[in-house]
Amino acid sequence: MTGAAATERGARERILAAAVDRIARHGIDEVRIARIAMDAGVSTSLVHYHFETREALLEQALDYSYELAGDVRLGPEGDVEELGSVKRLAAMIDQCLPYPGMLERDWILWVELWLRAARHPEMRPTAARLYARMRGWFAEAIATGIERGEFASDAEPERIADLLLALADGYGVRVLFGDLEVAHARREIWAAVQDELGLPEQPPPPLDPAHPQD
Amino acid sequence: MSPRPRLDHVRRPELLAAAAAVIRQRGLENARVADVAHEAGTSAPSVLYYFASKSELLKEALTSAEERFYEKLAHRLEQIESPRERLLHIVHSATGEGDYDAALWMELWARALRDPELAATRAELDGRWRRTIAEVVRYGQERGEFRTADPEEFAVLLASLLDGLSVQIALRDTEVTPDRVRELAVRLAERELGCELPEGARC
Repeated sequence: MTGAAATERGARERILAAAVDRIARHGIDEVRIARIAMDAGVSTSLVHYHFETREALLEQALDYSYELAGDVRLGPEGDVEELGSVKRLAAMIDQCLPYPGMLERDWILWVELWLRAARHPEMRPTAARLYARMRGWFAEAIATGIERGEFASDAEPERIADLLLALADGYGVRVLFGDLEVAHARREIWAAVQDELGLPEQPPPPLDPAHPQD
Repeated sequence: MSPRPRLDHVRRPELLAAAAAVIRQRGLENARVADVAHEAGTSAPSVLYYFASKSELLKEALTSAEERFYEKLAHRLEQIESPRERLLHIVHSATGEGDYDAALWMELWARALRDPELAATRAELDGRWRRTIAEVVRYGQERGEFRTADPEEFAVLLASLLDGLSVQIALRDTEVTPDRVRELAVRLAERELGCELPEGARC
């Protein structure tokens, strides 16, 4: 890639990142091209050069952030060889909950995206793709745990993956609103699949020492 | 033509229903007073006669749609004798059979992140939903059909599951169908409450 092409690509990414940040902080409705240009350190005409309309920018920013949010949620969950399936599963559940800081920001974005995708059919394929990835991520980890003899042999990976994803969303949004503590949500989600997977009664402590514990 | 709005044929509930329909179709940010007036077959000044601002109208439309859902649900639950069928009815009512409106609900929740007034509305309505579930659990325990579980904890669990799943239904996720959601919710409830829910019962 030439230097100019790299710079151009860099500007596009910066604009998208600035848009995502604005959406997370202020909501989709408050997003203005001029503000995003300022945040990204580019001119409004450059924003218009990359994105014809505000709608096009928002759409691509959301697409970009879906992938980004997905990557954070799908991020490093630790090596199963090193952690074992039980600790790995706990770490994966933690990845899906709005812990203060970065994950909380992604969560706000996540809620903003539900709203958008439910009403905008063109966003749905991205949303469905991301959900499918997450479902696969959990189902695969559960299947591996069964193979390794760490989870109950009759557990159903797909069904438990659906259960975990839905509970993480449903509890997570309540944590975000301050209805309950994140440690409480974590414990309840664990308890909901504990029997079927044959897990210890209490979840192992969070891998990240900064995360609040029970 | 006189600028005074004609109020003889439009009433508040009709305006709220019209507003809900517009929000459902266009989303909150694109809903205009003129659209609501058109939907209700009246003029924008008539709409503004009843509601001081667009945001007041929208807030009330969201709340009143939820109110109607709860009123109907409570009424229907009273008519069902068996606790297990009551619980099943709750699951069905949250999965697209009946008046539950995921699109409006999602607007409310997303708005509530940044609007303290709507956050209070959300908290109130969510509390009502959870109390409805907890009451059915208590009713079943009194009649010896559900085992001892904390009704409030169970209510958060079931509500969270149904919320998470209805997001996926709203996204038209092909793998998460209403039938699949019901199956997941029913099995979770059966396990937690130590009972079997009547199979295939329709509500």
